[in-house]
Amino acid sequence: MMAIGEVIESTTAEFTAEARRYDQVPAYGSFVKVRDGNILIYGIVSGAYTGSMDGVSKAKAFFKSLEELKMEQPQIFELLRTEFSCVVVGYEEAGRYHPYYPPSHPGLHLPVEEADDLEVLTISQYLNYLDKTLNDPSGNGEELTAAVIRTTARLQTDPRAYVIKVGRELLRIMNYDTQRLKSVFERVDIV
Amino acid sequence: MKGTILRGSLSGGLEVRLDIGENIEEIKVGTFCVVEGRSHDFFSMVVDEDIEAANPRAFYENLSDNPLLNEIVRGTGIIDKVKIQPMIAINREEGRIQPVKSIPSYLSVVREAREEDVFKIFGRPDPTHFHVGSPLDMDHIPVCIDLKKFIERSNGIFGKSGTGKTFYTRLMLCGMIKSGLCNILVFDMHSEYGWEGEDEDETRKKAKGLKQLFGSKVAIFTLDPESSRNRGVYPDFVVEIPYRSIEAEDIAMVWEELNLNPTALEVIYVLQKHLGQDWLCTFLNMDAFSIKDFAEATGSHEGAIQALQRKLFKLQKLPFIKENPADDAVERIMQYLDNGMNVVLEFGHQRSMLAYMLVANILTRRIHELYVKRTEKALGGMRENNTPLVIVIEEAHKFLSPDMSRQTIFGMIAREMRKYNVTLLVVDQRPSGIDPEVHSQLGTKIVALLTEERDIESVLSGVNNARMLRNVLASLDTKQQAIIMGHAVPMPVVIKTRTYDETFYRDITRDDDNKNWVSHTAGRLTGVSPLPKVDQEEELPPGKEFEDLMKELYGE
Repeated sequence: MMAIGEVIESTTAEFTAEARRYDQVPAYGSFVKVRDGNILIYGIVSGAYTGSMDGVSKAKAFFKSLEELKMEQPQIFELLRTEFSCVVVGYEEAGRYHPYYPPSHPGLHLPVEEADDLEVLTISQYLNYLDKTLNDPSGNGEELTAAVIRTTARLQTDPRAYVIKVGRELLRIMNYDTQRLKSVFERVDIV
Repeated sequence: MKGTILRGSLSGGLEVRLDIGENIEEIKVGTFCVVEGRSHDFFSMVVDEDIEAANPRAFYENLSDNPLLNEIVRGTGIIDKVKIQPMIAINREEGRIQPVKSIPSYLSVVREAREEDVFKIFGRPDPTHFHVGSPLDMDHIPVCIDLKKFIERSNGIFGKSGTGKTFYTRLMLCGMIKSGLCNILVFDMHSEYGWEGEDEDETRKKAKGLKQLFGSKVAIFTLDPESSRNRGVYPDFVVEIPYRSIEAEDIAMVWEELNLNPTALEVIYVLQKHLGQDWLCTFLNMDAFSIKDFAEATGSHEGAIQALQRKLFKLQKLPFIKENPADDAVERIMQYLDNGMNVVLEFGHQRSMLAYMLVANILTRRIHELYVKRTEKALGGMRENNTPLVIVIEEAHKFLSPDMSRQTIFGMIAREMRKYNVTLLVVDQRPSGIDPEVHSQLGTKIVALLTEERDIESVLSGVNNARMLRNVLASLDTKQQAIIMGHAVPMPVVIKTRTYDETFYRDITRDDDNKNWVSHTAGRLTGVSPLPKVDQEEELPPGKEFEDLMKELYGE
C-alpha cells in the first residue's frame, strides 16, 4: 500500500504527518498506521491543515474557478502543502493489537498509510479509543468522536448494536452526562 | 430477572441493578430471587422497585425523540433498581439453611429463583409438607407449608372481606386432614366447610366441603338439623346443649350480645354459687316471689335480678339449648375425634354471634378440660399423648378482643394450650380487634389483602422485616393471593394459592397408596347418637374406650 503521508512531528499521544499531495488527505476520523520497526502504530486522523509551503506567507485569493486557476496559474498549487494530525490509539506487535500507547512514539519521516477495514474492525472492538478521541487536544473531542463512530460503525455487521455499545461506554466516560452524549450522537447518523 | 448487587445493608435490604434489557415491569413485588454470593446463596424477596439515575440531570434530558439514545441511556445512565430483602442464607458447600447474618458481596449475581431453590427452603410436597400454592409468577413451582410446625402453635388467617379467607381455611383444613397429623374441630358459623360452600368462580359455583372430599374422616355436627337437611346435608349428629353446662363465664362472654351490665355479671356469679350446676334452668323458672326470696337470702338487688332474668330469657329462644338433651355433644365430639375423625359443627340458621360464641365457648371449654387432664396423665406416663387438636373459629376478634381474651377459653388456648396439644386456627377480617398478646402467640399467619392501616400493623407485629412486608401486603391481589409468614414457613412468602377445583380434589383425595379415602356416600342421617362408622383397618388412638371417656368427662 502506498504511503499517504510522512511523519513530521511526533509525541506519545499524537503525531503529525505531511500528506504526499496537498489535495490528498485521509478522511477526518479515519484510521491510519505507521510502521516503526517491529510495531505498527495506529492513529485516528484528528484534523488537517493546508497552507503555503513556507508556513509564513498566506495563499492569495484569485476569484476564479479551480479549473481556470489550474490552467492559468498551475505553479501556485506546487507551493501548497497539507498536514494532518493523528491521535495515537494503540499498536500492533507480533500480530497482536494492544489498545494503548506504544513503548515509544513513532519516529520522524516514517511513512503513514491508511489502515484497512480488517484492522479498523479489530481496533474498534476495543472501546478505549473513545477516551482518546473525546479528549482530543485540539478541543474538538465530541466532533472527532462522532466521526470515528461513523467510521467504525459502518464496518460492523450490526451497526446499530455497535453504536449502542459504544454509546454506553461513552456515557460512562462522560460521567453519565446525557446532554453531552446527546451532542455527540446528534452527529452520528446511524439509526 | 437478572442483575447485580449495587448496594445495601443487612438492616435495610439490598439494591439490585437490573441487567440491561431486563424489563422491570415484569418483576413483581413479592417474587423470589436468589443472590449468588461467594460462598452463600441468599434466597430473597423483591420488596420494592425504583428508577435511579447515575447523574440526576439525566432525568431532565428529553431523550424520547431519539430511540437510539433512549436505548443507550436505559440501563447505563438511568437504571432500573429492585430492592430485595434476603430472607434465608444457604451455605453452598454444606447445603445448610440458616438465618441471614451477612450480606452478599458487591456485584454478586442476582437471578430468579428456580424450583430447586424453592424446594430447598420450603421442602418438597410430601405427607407433612402441604402444597398451598406457588410463588408469584412461578405457577409451576409448589410452595409447601410444614404441617408439623403449623399445628404446633395457634395460627391465624386474616384478610378483608371477600379476599378468600374461607377458601384459605378450607385449603389448610384439607391439608391437615389429609396429613392425619391432627384432628380438627370447626365451628362453622356459615355452614361452608362441612358439605359444600359457595365458590365465587362463576364456572364452578359450588366448592366441595370436607365431607365430600374426605368422606368417613369427617363428621358433620349441626345445631340446626332442618337447615342442614334443606341444604341436602345429612348430619352425623345434632348438637343440643344442656342448660346445666352453661356456666357464669359463658354468659359473661356474651355480655355484649345479651346487653348485660357489670352488675348483672356479678349477679350471675352469685346465682351460680347459690343455685349450683342447674343455676340457669332454676333461675329462668323462678317467679317473682322466688326472686324476691332469693334476693333477700343473698342480699342482692331484686330489680337487678329481675332485669337479668328478662335478658337471659333470650337464651330460651335458642332451640339447641335443652333442659335434658338426649345425648352429650361434647362426649360425642370427643368420641369422633378420638376415632381419628374431624368434626365440623354447622350452625345453620343459628348464626347469631350469641349462639356462635356461646356454643363455641361451652364446647371448647370442656374439650380443653379434657385435654388438660389427658396431657397430665400422659406426663405421668399413664397414657399416650393426645393427637393434636386444631379448633377453627371464625369472627375471632369477638373471642380474642383485648377485653375478652383474658377470660375466654380461646384466649387461654391461644396463649398456652400448645402444651396440651390444642391449638386454634383463628379466621378473622379485623385482626386489629384481636388482643396483641394473642397475636404475638400466633405461630403462622396467612394474610390476604388488608388495606386498613391498623390491621396491617397488627398482623405484622412481631414479624421480622415488617417494614419491607408492608408494601407487599398492600399490593396483594384481592383473589388467590396471600402472604404466609411465621413458624411453619422458613421465611414470609407471597403465594398464589392453589385453585380449588377438580385437580385439587383429585390431588387431595388421592391416598399415598393410591387408595381412595372418599366413600362418596353422603353423610348418614343418624339423628342423635349412633357411634360413627370407623374404617376397620384404622388404628384407634388410645383412650377412646367409652367407659374411659365417661370417666374422663364426669369423673369416677
